Amino acid sequence: MHITTPLADELGRYLDLATQRMQLIAGNMANVDTPGYRTQDIDFQKEFSRVAGEVAADRGPQGTGAGALHTPPQIEAVDGLLERPDGNNVSIDRESMALGELQLQFRTGSALLKREFTRMSEAIHEDGK
Amino acid sequence: MNLFGVMGLSGTALKAERIRAEIVASNMANAETTRTASGGPYQRKHVVFAAAPEQASTFRNALIGQSASSLGVAANSGTGVEVTAVVNDPGAPVRRYDPGHPDADKNGYVNFPDIDPMTEMVDMMGAARSYQLNASAVQASKNMLQSSIDLLK
Repeated sequence: MHITTPLADELGRYLDLATQRMQLIAGNMANVDTPGYRTQDIDFQKEFSRVAGEVAADRGPQGTGAGALHTPPQIEAVDGLLERPDGNNVSIDRESMALGELQLQFRTGSALLKREFTRMSEAIHEDGK
Repeated sequence: MNLFGVMGLSGTALKAERIRAEIVASNMANAETTRTASGGPYQRKHVVFAAAPEQASTFRNALIGQSASSLGVAANSGTGVEVTAVVNDPGAPVRRYDPGHPDADKNGYVNFPDIDPMTEMVDMMGAARSYQLNASAVQASKNMLQSSIDLLK
């Protein structure tokens, strides 16, 4: 039996994925002056649809329901960026945009998750007590 | 690594950029230094940056320990930065004619460090901007942590 709803599980994994992307973006920003460093990122949409599939499988008849499937996202080098003479291709604009986007994604995800928990709590106290 | 790890990672960059700014300040301060402990004029210094995996803080190690993998904590994927070396610029000193100077040679020339204040200022601005960039990343992860904490309220 699951105490959480599929949406809450998915939102949890969404926040996990956002955190993992945040690590990569922070790493890119940290290495803005490192010679030879290449920008790293994950394909958020692709990874999230994979993760959503994992959540569905986990909750299905064969799933353990324990969140056992936790494959790490695939990290890719980003192509098509302007490379500086020292071999570094970090773009401050790209990273700043990604950072702003991630903050909004994270806030949306956590607001939705909070709402979902409130909803579950209301279902438990069905008469509002 | 979690969001606290992200802050640690940005922290490595803040530290590295601060060292870079210190070295630039030292270069500017010693622009006219003709005597050093190793003899000869001051030599311009550079920092060498290298990507380095962020080292887990001891607090987190103590708290999570070996159970990290069982808790589903993702392996470190982002990379921090570290200053691996501070090297001397091999450029030749600038010779200036100043016979009254105590360090003048027999022809009246003094060896001064080859430091261009403009280059140093540009480097200093670069360091300051990179510091700001990473400080804003710290601010972003703080906001994200705050919204996670708000889930508990």
